[in-house]
Amino acid sequence: MTKTGLAKTGMIDFRDVNKWFGTLNVLKNITLSVEPREVVVVCGPSGSGKSTLIRCVNGLEAIKDGDLVVDGQRLGDPATNMTQLRTEIGFVFQSFNLYPHKTALENVTLAPIHVRKIPRAEAEKAGRELLAKVGLADKVNAYPAQLSGGQQQRVAIARCLGMRPKIMLFDEPTSALDPEMISEVLDVMVAVAEEGMTMMVVTHEMGFARKVAQRVVFMDAGAIVESGTPDEFFSHPKTDRSRAFLSKILRH
Amino acid sequence: MIWQQLQSLAGSYPLALRGLGMTVMLSLISLVLGTLLGFGLGILRTGGNRLISGLIGAWVDLIRGTPFLVQIFLIFFILPEFGIELDAFTAGIIALTNLAACFICEIVVAGIRSVPTGQVEAALASGLSRLQRMRQVVLPQAMRIVLPPLVGQYVLLIKDSSVVSAIGLTDLTRVGWLVVQRVPNGLLVFFLVGVGYFIVCYPLIMLARRLEQRMGAAHGEVQL
Repeated sequence: MTKTGLAKTGMIDFRDVNKWFGTLNVLKNITLSVEPREVVVVCGPSGSGKSTLIRCVNGLEAIKDGDLVVDGQRLGDPATNMTQLRTEIGFVFQSFNLYPHKTALENVTLAPIHVRKIPRAEAEKAGRELLAKVGLADKVNAYPAQLSGGQQQRVAIARCLGMRPKIMLFDEPTSALDPEMISEVLDVMVAVAEEGMTMMVVTHEMGFARKVAQRVVFMDAGAIVESGTPDEFFSHPKTDRSRAFLSKILRH
Repeated sequence: MIWQQLQSLAGSYPLALRGLGMTVMLSLISLVLGTLLGFGLGILRTGGNRLISGLIGAWVDLIRGTPFLVQIFLIFFILPEFGIELDAFTAGIIALTNLAACFICEIVVAGIRSVPTGQVEAALASGLSRLQRMRQVVLPQAMRIVLPPLVGQYVLLIKDSSVVSAIGLTDLTRVGWLVVQRVPNGLLVFFLVGVGYFIVCYPLIMLARRLEQRMGAAHGEVQL
Protein backbone atom coordinates (compact mmCIF):
# COMPACT_ATOMS: atom_id res chain seq x y z
CA MET A 1 0.00 0.00 0.00
CA THR A 2 2.82 2.37 0.80
CA LYS A 3 3.87 4.40 -2.18
CA THR A 4 7.02 5.93 -0.77
CA GLY A 5 8.93 3.74 -3.17
CA LEU A 6 7.72 5.73 -6.15
CA ALA A 7 10.38 7.81 -7.81
CA LYS A 8 9.74 11.23 -6.38
CA THR A 9 12.23 14.00 -6.13
CA GLY A 10 10.13 16.60 -4.39
CA MET A 11 10.63 17.57 -0.78
CA ILE A 12 6.86 17.89 -0.46
CA ASP A 13 4.60 15.93 -2.82
CA PHE A 14 0.85 16.25 -2.83
CA ARG A 15 -0.89 13.80 -5.14
CA ASP A 16 -4.68 13.97 -5.54
CA VAL A 17 -5.09 15.07 -1.94
CA ASN A 18 -8.61 15.63 -0.65
CA LYS A 19 -9.81 16.81 2.70
CA TRP A 20 -13.24 17.53 4.12
CA PHE A 21 -14.44 19.48 7.12
CA GLY A 22 -17.77 17.71 7.59
CA THR A 23 -19.34 17.95 4.16
CA LEU A 24 -17.16 20.85 3.05
CA ASN A 25 -14.49 19.78 0.59
CA VAL A 26 -11.69 22.08 1.80
CA LEU A 27 -8.94 20.56 -0.33
CA LYS A 28 -9.89 19.32 -3.80
CA ASN A 29 -7.59 17.03 -5.76
CA ILE A 30 -4.46 18.89 -4.79
CA THR A 31 -1.41 17.84 -6.78
CA LEU A 32 1.67 19.88 -6.07
CA SER A 33 5.36 19.16 -5.76
CA VAL A 34 7.82 21.40 -3.97
CA GLU A 35 11.47 20.83 -4.82
CA PRO A 36 14.30 21.05 -2.30
CA ARG A 37 15.39 24.69 -1.80
CA GLU A 38 12.31 25.89 -3.60
CA VAL A 39 10.20 28.76 -2.21
CA VAL A 40 6.50 28.48 -3.05
CA VAL A 41 4.09 31.26 -2.18
CA VAL A 42 0.46 30.20 -1.71
CA CYS A 43 -2.17 32.88 -2.07
CA GLY A 44 -5.90 33.09 -2.54
CA PRO A 45 -9.01 34.50 -0.97
CA SER A 46 -9.95 33.85 2.64
CA GLY A 47 -11.36 30.35 3.06
CA SER A 48 -9.69 29.02 -0.08
CA GLY A 49 -7.88 26.28 1.86
CA LYS A 50 -4.36 27.69 1.71
CA SER A 51 -3.75 27.48 5.47
CA THR A 52 -5.23 23.99 5.55
CA LEU A 53 -2.88 23.04 2.71
CA ILE A 54 0.30 23.85 4.62
CA ARG A 55 -1.12 22.59 7.93
CA CYS A 56 -1.41 19.18 6.26
CA VAL A 57 2.32 19.13 5.52
CA ASN A 58 3.29 18.77 9.20
CA GLY A 59 0.19 16.84 10.13
CA LEU A 60 -1.63 19.57 12.07
CA GLU A 61 -4.48 18.54 9.76
CA ALA A 62 -4.98 15.00 8.52
CA ILE A 63 -5.77 14.35 4.88
CA LYS A 64 -8.73 12.24 3.85
CA ASP A 65 -7.40 10.64 0.72
CA GLY A 66 -4.62 10.96 -1.79
CA ASP A 67 -0.91 10.87 -1.04
CA LEU A 68 1.20 13.39 0.78
CA VAL A 69 4.88 12.56 0.94
CA VAL A 70 7.16 14.85 2.92
CA ASP A 71 10.92 14.35 2.99
CA GLY A 72 10.43 10.84 1.61
CA GLN A 73 7.89 9.85 4.26
CA ARG A 74 4.26 9.21 3.50
CA LEU A 75 1.86 10.91 5.91
CA GLY A 76 -0.73 8.64 7.47
CA ASP A 77 1.49 5.64 6.90
CA PRO A 78 1.89 3.68 10.15
CA ALA A 79 5.62 3.50 9.43
CA THR A 80 5.93 7.28 9.48
CA ASN A 81 6.91 8.73 12.82
CA MET A 82 5.07 12.06 12.79
CA THR A 83 6.84 13.44 15.86
CA GLN A 84 10.17 12.70 14.24
CA LEU A 85 9.10 14.19 10.91
CA ARG A 86 7.86 17.36 12.59
CA THR A 87 11.33 18.05 13.95
CA GLU A 88 12.40 18.54 10.33
CA ILE A 89 9.60 21.00 9.61
CA GLY A 90 9.41 24.50 11.06
CA PHE A 91 5.98 26.09 11.29
CA VAL A 92 5.43 29.83 11.74
CA PHE A 93 1.92 30.79 12.86
CA GLN A 94 -0.08 33.88 12.07
CA SER A 95 -0.56 34.49 15.81
CA PHE A 96 3.10 33.67 16.66
CA ASN A 97 2.14 31.19 19.44
CA LEU A 98 5.26 31.84 21.47
CA TYR A 99 5.25 30.20 24.88
CA PRO A 100 4.21 33.13 27.11
CA HIS A 101 5.80 31.67 30.25
CA LYS A 102 9.22 31.33 28.66
CA THR A 103 11.77 33.96 27.65
CA ALA A 104 12.73 34.50 24.01
CA LEU A 105 15.82 32.35 24.53
CA GLU A 106 13.86 29.61 26.28
CA ASN A 107 11.35 29.60 23.45
CA VAL A 108 14.19 28.99 21.02
CA THR A 109 16.02 26.36 23.08
CA LEU A 110 13.06 24.31 24.36
CA ALA A 111 12.78 21.88 21.46
CA PRO A 112 16.54 21.60 20.76
CA ILE A 113 17.12 20.67 24.42
CA HIS A 114 14.17 18.33 24.89
CA VAL A 115 13.69 16.88 21.43
CA ARG A 116 17.16 17.03 19.87
CA LYS A 117 18.81 16.38 23.28
CA ILE A 118 21.41 19.06 22.68
CA PRO A 119 23.26 20.03 25.91
CA ARG A 120 21.76 23.17 27.44
CA ALA A 121 24.91 25.31 27.18
CA GLU A 122 25.33 24.46 23.53
CA ALA A 123 21.63 25.04 22.78
CA GLU A 124 21.74 28.42 24.52
CA LYS A 125 24.81 29.47 22.57
CA ALA A 126 23.09 28.53 19.31
CA GLY A 127 19.89 30.20 20.50
CA ARG A 128 21.64 33.48 21.22
CA GLU A 129 23.23 33.38 17.77
CA LEU A 130 19.86 32.79 16.15
CA LEU A 131 18.22 35.61 18.07
CA ALA A 132 21.09 37.87 17.05
CA LYS A 133 20.58 36.76 13.47
CA VAL A 134 16.94 37.88 13.56
CA GLY A 135 18.03 41.19 15.13
CA LEU A 136 17.01 40.45 18.71
CA ALA A 137 20.36 40.03 20.48
CA ASP A 138 19.20 42.43 23.20
CA LYS A 139 15.89 40.61 23.80
CA VAL A 140 17.09 37.13 24.76
CA ASN A 141 15.69 37.41 28.27
CA ALA A 142 12.47 39.21 27.35
CA TYR A 143 9.11 37.48 27.72
CA PRO A 144 6.78 37.46 24.70
CA ALA A 145 4.41 39.93 26.39
CA GLN A 146 7.28 42.42 26.49
CA LEU A 147 7.90 42.19 22.74
CA SER A 148 6.15 43.83 19.82
CA GLY A 149 4.32 41.67 17.29
CA GLY A 150 7.17 41.92 14.80
CA GLN A 151 9.70 40.95 17.45
CA GLN A 152 7.54 38.02 18.58
CA GLN A 153 7.28 36.73 15.04
CA ARG A 154 11.05 36.97 14.60
CA VAL A 155 11.51 34.96 17.81
CA ALA A 156 9.04 32.42 16.40
CA ILE A 157 11.14 32.12 13.24
CA ALA A 158 14.31 31.73 15.33
CA ARG A 159 12.48 29.05 17.34
CA CYS A 160 11.92 27.08 14.14
CA LEU A 161 15.47 27.60 12.89
CA GLY A 162 16.79 26.28 16.20
CA MET A 163 15.69 22.83 15.11
CA ARG A 164 17.67 23.13 11.85
CA PRO A 165 14.64 22.09 9.82
CA LYS A 166 14.68 20.98 6.19
CA ILE A 167 11.37 22.69 5.48
CA MET A 168 9.78 25.88 6.79
CA LEU A 169 6.05 26.56 6.54
CA PHE A 170 4.66 30.04 7.09
CA ASP A 171 0.94 30.58 7.71
CA GLU A 172 0.21 34.26 7.00
CA PRO A 173 3.20 35.31 9.10
CA THR A 174 2.63 39.04 8.69
CA SER A 175 -1.18 39.22 8.71
CA ALA A 176 -1.42 39.93 12.43
CA LEU A 177 1.24 42.66 12.33
CA ASP A 178 1.03 46.41 12.24
CA PRO A 179 2.21 47.67 8.85
CA GLU A 180 5.48 49.13 10.14
CA MET A 181 6.52 45.74 11.50
CA ILE A 182 5.87 43.71 8.38
CA SER A 183 9.16 44.45 6.66
CA GLU A 184 11.31 43.42 9.64
CA VAL A 185 9.70 39.98 9.51
CA LEU A 186 9.86 39.73 5.71
CA ASP A 187 13.56 40.64 5.80
CA VAL A 188 14.22 37.68 8.08
CA MET A 189 12.19 35.41 5.80
CA VAL A 190 14.13 36.58 2.77
CA ALA A 191 17.39 35.78 4.58
CA VAL A 192 16.11 32.29 5.42
CA ALA A 193 15.06 31.74 1.80
CA GLU A 194 18.42 32.90 0.49
CA GLU A 195 20.16 30.30 2.62
CA GLY A 196 18.40 27.64 0.58
CA MET A 197 15.52 26.65 2.83
CA THR A 198 12.61 24.77 1.28
CA MET A 199 9.64 27.01 2.04
CA MET A 200 5.89 27.12 1.60
CA VAL A 201 4.57 30.54 2.48
CA VAL A 202 0.93 31.51 2.72
CA THR A 203 1.01 35.27 2.21
CA HIS A 204 -0.34 38.14 0.20
CA GLU A 205 2.96 40.01 0.36
CA MET A 206 3.59 40.35 -3.34
CA GLY A 207 6.94 42.08 -2.84
CA PHE A 208 8.18 39.04 -0.95
CA ALA A 209 6.82 36.67 -3.59
CA ARG A 210 8.54 38.55 -6.41
CA LYS A 211 11.81 38.71 -4.53
CA VAL A 212 12.29 35.10 -3.40
CA ALA A 213 9.54 32.80 -4.66
CA GLN A 214 10.19 30.49 -7.59
CA ARG A 215 6.50 29.81 -7.84
CA VAL A 216 3.17 31.29 -6.85
CA VAL A 217 0.23 28.95 -6.33
CA PHE A 218 -3.22 30.49 -6.42
CA MET A 219 -6.02 28.66 -4.60
CA ASP A 220 -9.74 29.21 -4.65
CA ALA A 221 -12.49 27.14 -3.02
CA GLY A 222 -10.09 24.37 -2.02
CA ALA A 223 -8.50 23.83 -5.42
CA ILE A 224 -5.27 25.00 -7.01
CA VAL A 225 -6.52 27.24 -9.81
CA GLU A 226 -3.27 28.54 -11.16
CA SER A 227 0.44 28.10 -10.63
CA GLY A 228 3.35 29.96 -12.18
CA THR A 229 6.39 32.15 -11.63
CA PRO A 230 5.70 35.35 -9.70
CA ASP A 231 6.16 37.39 -12.87
CA GLU A 232 3.72 35.28 -14.89
CA PHE A 233 1.18 35.25 -12.12
CA PHE A 234 1.22 38.92 -11.16
CA SER A 235 1.64 40.35 -14.64
CA HIS A 236 -0.36 37.87 -16.71
CA PRO A 237 -2.86 36.01 -14.55
CA LYS A 238 -4.48 33.34 -16.66
CA THR A 239 -7.87 32.91 -15.01
CA ASP A 240 -10.75 35.23 -14.21
CA ARG A 241 -10.64 34.25 -10.58
CA SER A 242 -6.97 35.10 -10.17
CA ARG A 243 -7.47 38.39 -12.03
CA ALA A 244 -10.38 39.25 -9.73
CA PHE A 245 -8.30 38.33 -6.69
CA LEU A 246 -5.27 40.35 -7.83
CA SER A 247 -7.37 43.38 -8.63
CA LYS A 248 -8.59 43.35 -5.05
CA ILE A 249 -5.24 43.00 -3.32
CA LEU A 250 -3.29 45.27 -5.67
CA ARG A 251 -5.83 48.08 -5.87
CA HIS A 252 -4.63 49.88 -2.76
CA MET B 1 -21.16 28.63 85.92
CA ILE B 2 -19.34 29.86 82.82
CA TRP B 3 -16.15 29.82 84.86
CA GLN B 4 -16.65 26.18 85.75
CA GLN B 5 -17.37 25.29 82.15
CA LEU B 6 -14.23 27.04 80.98
CA GLN B 7 -12.22 25.20 83.60
CA SER B 8 -13.46 21.80 82.48
CA LEU B 9 -12.93 22.85 78.88
CA ALA B 10 -9.34 23.67 79.69
CA GLY B 11 -9.06 20.14 81.03
CA SER B 12 -10.09 18.84 77.61
CA TYR B 13 -7.32 20.53 75.74
CA PRO B 14 -5.20 17.37 75.23
CA LEU B 15 -8.22 15.78 73.59
CA ALA B 16 -8.78 18.91 71.50
CA LEU B 17 -5.17 18.87 70.35
CA ARG B 18 -5.51 15.23 69.38
CA GLY B 19 -8.64 16.07 67.40
CA LEU B 20 -6.93 18.97 65.68
CA GLY B 21 -3.96 16.71 64.94
CA MET B 22 -6.27 14.11 63.40
CA THR B 23 -8.02 16.70 61.26
CA VAL B 24 -4.70 18.11 60.04
CA MET B 25 -3.24 14.65 59.42
CA LEU B 26 -6.29 13.41 57.53
CA SER B 27 -6.47 16.58 55.46
CA LEU B 28 -2.77 16.69 54.72
CA ILE B 29 -2.49 13.06 53.58
CA SER B 30 -5.65 13.08 51.51
CA LEU B 31 -4.95 16.49 49.96
CA VAL B 32 -1.47 15.42 48.88
CA LEU B 33 -2.74 12.10 47.50
CA GLY B 34 -5.87 13.75 46.07
CA THR B 35 -3.82 16.41 44.31
CA LEU B 36 -1.55 13.84 42.67
CA LEU B 37 -4.49 11.68 41.67
CA GLY B 38 -6.56 14.70 40.59
CA PHE B 39 -3.80 15.95 38.27
CA GLY B 40 -3.39 12.46 36.86
CA LEU B 41 -7.11 12.13 36.22
CA GLY B 42 -7.32 15.66 34.78
CA ILE B 43 -4.47 14.97 32.35
CA LEU B 44 -5.97 11.62 31.32
CA ARG B 45 -9.40 13.18 30.92
CA THR B 46 -8.09 15.76 28.45
CA GLY B 47 -6.00 13.13 26.62
CA GLY B 48 -7.15 11.60 23.40
CA ASN B 49 -8.75 8.39 24.69
CA ARG B 50 -12.52 8.81 24.70
CA LEU B 51 -13.23 5.70 26.75
CA ILE B 52 -10.86 6.72 29.56
CA SER B 53 -12.08 10.29 29.39
CA GLY B 54 -15.72 9.17 29.57
CA LEU B 55 -15.10 6.83 32.50
CA ILE B 56 -13.32 9.52 34.48
CA GLY B 57 -16.08 12.01 33.66
CA ALA B 58 -18.77 9.61 34.86
CA TRP B 59 -16.91 8.85 38.08
CA VAL B 60 -16.30 12.53 38.81
CA ASP B 61 -19.97 13.33 38.21
CA LEU B 62 -21.05 10.48 40.47
CA ILE B 63 -18.82 11.61 43.32
CA ARG B 64 -19.70 15.27 42.89
CA GLY B 65 -23.38 14.42 42.77
CA THR B 66 -23.60 12.37 45.98
CA PRO B 67 -23.19 13.50 49.60
CA PHE B 68 -19.79 12.88 51.10
CA LEU B 69 -21.46 11.31 54.15
CA VAL B 70 -23.02 8.66 51.91
CA GLN B 71 -19.69 7.99 50.20
CA ILE B 72 -17.88 7.52 53.46
CA PHE B 73 -20.60 5.18 54.78
CA LEU B 74 -20.42 3.14 51.60
CA ILE B 75 -16.68 2.76 51.92
CA PHE B 76 -16.70 2.04 55.64
CA PHE B 77 -19.78 -0.17 55.96
CA ILE B 78 -20.30 -1.72 52.55
CA LEU B 79 -16.75 -2.69 51.56
CA PRO B 80 -16.41 -5.08 54.55
CA GLU B 81 -19.43 -6.95 53.16
CA PHE B 82 -17.21 -7.79 50.20
CA GLY B 83 -14.40 -8.91 52.47
CA ILE B 84 -12.42 -5.68 52.42
CA GLU B 85 -11.85 -4.74 56.04
CA LEU B 86 -10.82 -1.16 56.58
CA ASP B 87 -10.04 0.69 59.77
CA ALA B 88 -11.75 4.03 60.14
CA PHE B 89 -8.60 6.03 59.40
CA THR B 90 -7.91 4.24 56.11
CA ALA B 91 -11.55 4.52 55.10
CA GLY B 92 -11.44 8.23 55.89
CA ILE B 93 -8.28 8.73 53.84
CA ILE B 94 -9.71 6.81 50.89
CA ALA B 95 -12.99 8.68 50.92
CA LEU B 96 -11.41 12.10 51.32
CA THR B 97 -8.68 11.41 48.74
CA ASN B 98 -11.29 10.29 46.25
CA LEU B 99 -13.39 13.38 46.88
CA ALA B 100 -10.37 15.66 46.60
CA ALA B 101 -9.20 13.94 43.39
CA CYS B 102 -12.59 14.39 41.71
CA PHE B 103 -12.88 18.10 42.50
CA ILE B 104 -9.23 18.73 41.64
CA CYS B 105 -9.63 16.79 38.39
CA GLU B 106 -12.32 19.26 37.30
CA ILE B 107 -10.13 22.24 38.21
CA VAL B 108 -7.17 20.77 36.30
CA VAL B 109 -9.34 20.01 33.26
CA ALA B 110 -10.58 23.60 33.22
CA GLY B 111 -6.99 24.84 33.48
CA ILE B 112 -5.74 22.63 30.66
CA ARG B 113 -8.63 23.62 28.41
CA SER B 114 -7.90 27.29 29.05
CA VAL B 115 -4.53 26.98 27.31
CA PRO B 116 -4.99 28.25 23.74
CA THR B 117 -4.92 25.61 20.98
CA GLY B 118 -2.11 27.52 19.31
CA GLN B 119 0.18 26.69 22.20
CA VAL B 120 -0.35 22.97 21.75
CA GLU B 121 0.05 23.32 17.99
CA ALA B 122 3.33 25.20 18.41
CA ALA B 123 4.62 22.48 20.73
CA LEU B 124 3.35 19.77 18.39
CA ALA B 125 4.95 21.46 15.39
CA SER B 126 8.37 21.53 17.04
CA GLY B 127 8.25 17.79 17.67
CA LEU B 128 7.61 17.70 21.42
CA SER B 129 6.14 14.42 22.63
CA ARG B 130 2.80 14.31 24.41
CA LEU B 131 4.52 14.22 27.80
CA GLN B 132 6.86 17.07 26.92
CA ARG B 133 3.98 19.19 25.60
CA MET B 134 2.11 18.66 28.84
CA ARG B 135 5.10 19.30 31.09
CA GLN B 136 6.81 22.13 29.26
CA VAL B 137 3.99 24.01 27.60
CA VAL B 138 0.48 23.15 28.78
CA LEU B 139 0.77 22.58 32.54
CA PRO B 140 2.88 25.65 33.36
CA GLN B 141 0.24 27.81 31.66
CA ALA B 142 -2.67 25.85 33.09
CA MET B 143 -1.22 26.29 36.59
CA ARG B 144 -1.94 30.00 36.43
CA ILE B 145 -5.61 29.17 36.10
CA VAL B 146 -5.50 26.15 38.41
CA LEU B 147 -3.67 27.40 41.51
CA PRO B 148 -6.13 29.88 43.03
CA PRO B 149 -9.21 27.59 42.85
CA LEU B 150 -7.04 24.64 43.87
CA VAL B 151 -6.10 26.28 47.15
CA GLY B 152 -9.72 27.35 47.61
CA GLN B 153 -10.74 23.72 47.12
CA TYR B 154 -8.27 22.67 49.83
CA VAL B 155 -10.16 24.87 52.28
CA LEU B 156 -13.46 23.23 51.35
CA LEU B 157 -11.95 19.75 51.66
CA ILE B 158 -10.45 20.44 55.09
CA LYS B 159 -13.92 21.42 56.23
CA ASP B 160 -15.44 18.36 54.56
CA SER B 161 -13.05 16.21 56.60
CA SER B 162 -15.35 16.87 59.56
CA VAL B 163 -17.66 14.24 58.10
CA VAL B 164 -15.19 11.47 59.07
CA SER B 165 -16.35 11.89 62.66
CA ALA B 166 -19.43 9.96 61.52
CA ILE B 167 -17.40 6.74 61.27
CA GLY B 168 -15.84 7.27 64.67
CA LEU B 169 -12.58 9.00 63.87
CA THR B 170 -11.65 11.38 66.67
CA ASP B 171 -11.13 14.50 64.61
CA LEU B 172 -11.84 18.03 65.73
CA THR B 173 -15.59 17.74 65.16
CA ARG B 174 -15.90 14.49 67.07
CA VAL B 175 -13.92 15.99 69.93
CA GLY B 176 -16.62 18.66 70.00
CA TRP B 177 -19.30 15.97 70.33
CA LEU B 178 -17.35 14.23 73.11
CA VAL B 179 -16.66 17.40 75.06
CA VAL B 180 -20.20 18.66 74.82
CA GLN B 181 -21.35 15.58 76.73
CA ARG B 182 -19.31 16.72 79.71
CA VAL B 183 -19.67 20.46 79.26
CA PRO B 184 -23.26 21.12 78.29
CA ASN B 185 -22.63 24.35 76.40
CA GLY B 186 -22.87 23.49 72.73
CA LEU B 187 -22.54 27.08 71.64
CA LEU B 188 -19.21 27.58 73.38
CA VAL B 189 -17.81 24.17 72.46
CA PHE B 190 -18.66 24.31 68.78
CA PHE B 191 -17.58 27.93 68.61
CA LEU B 192 -14.15 26.72 69.71
CA VAL B 193 -14.29 23.83 67.21
CA GLY B 194 -15.04 26.42 64.51
CA VAL B 195 -12.07 28.49 65.63
CA GLY B 196 -9.90 25.38 65.30
CA TYR B 197 -10.93 24.87 61.65
CA PHE B 198 -10.54 28.56 60.93
CA ILE B 199 -6.96 28.55 62.26
CA VAL B 200 -6.12 25.73 59.83
CA CYS B 201 -7.98 27.24 56.87
CA TYR B 202 -7.24 30.94 57.16
CA PRO B 203 -3.60 30.73 56.02
CA LEU B 204 -4.80 28.87 52.93
CA ILE B 205 -7.44 31.50 52.23
CA MET B 206 -4.73 34.15 52.42
CA LEU B 207 -2.49 32.06 50.17
CA ALA B 208 -5.25 31.72 47.58
CA ARG B 209 -5.72 35.48 47.55
CA ARG B 210 -1.99 36.11 47.21
CA LEU B 211 -1.73 33.62 44.37
CA GLU B 212 -4.60 35.21 42.55
CA GLN B 213 -2.95 38.60 42.72
CA ARG B 214 0.47 37.28 41.76
CA MET B 215 -0.84 35.24 38.85
CA GLY B 216 -2.54 38.31 37.47
CA ALA B 217 0.66 40.32 37.58
CA ALA B 218 3.11 37.65 36.46
CA HIS B 219 4.74 37.40 33.08
CA GLY B 220 3.23 35.21 30.50
CA GLU B 221 -0.17 36.78 30.20
CA VAL B 222 -1.52 35.25 27.05
CA GLN B 223 -2.29 38.18 24.86
CA LEU B 224 -4.13 37.99 21.60
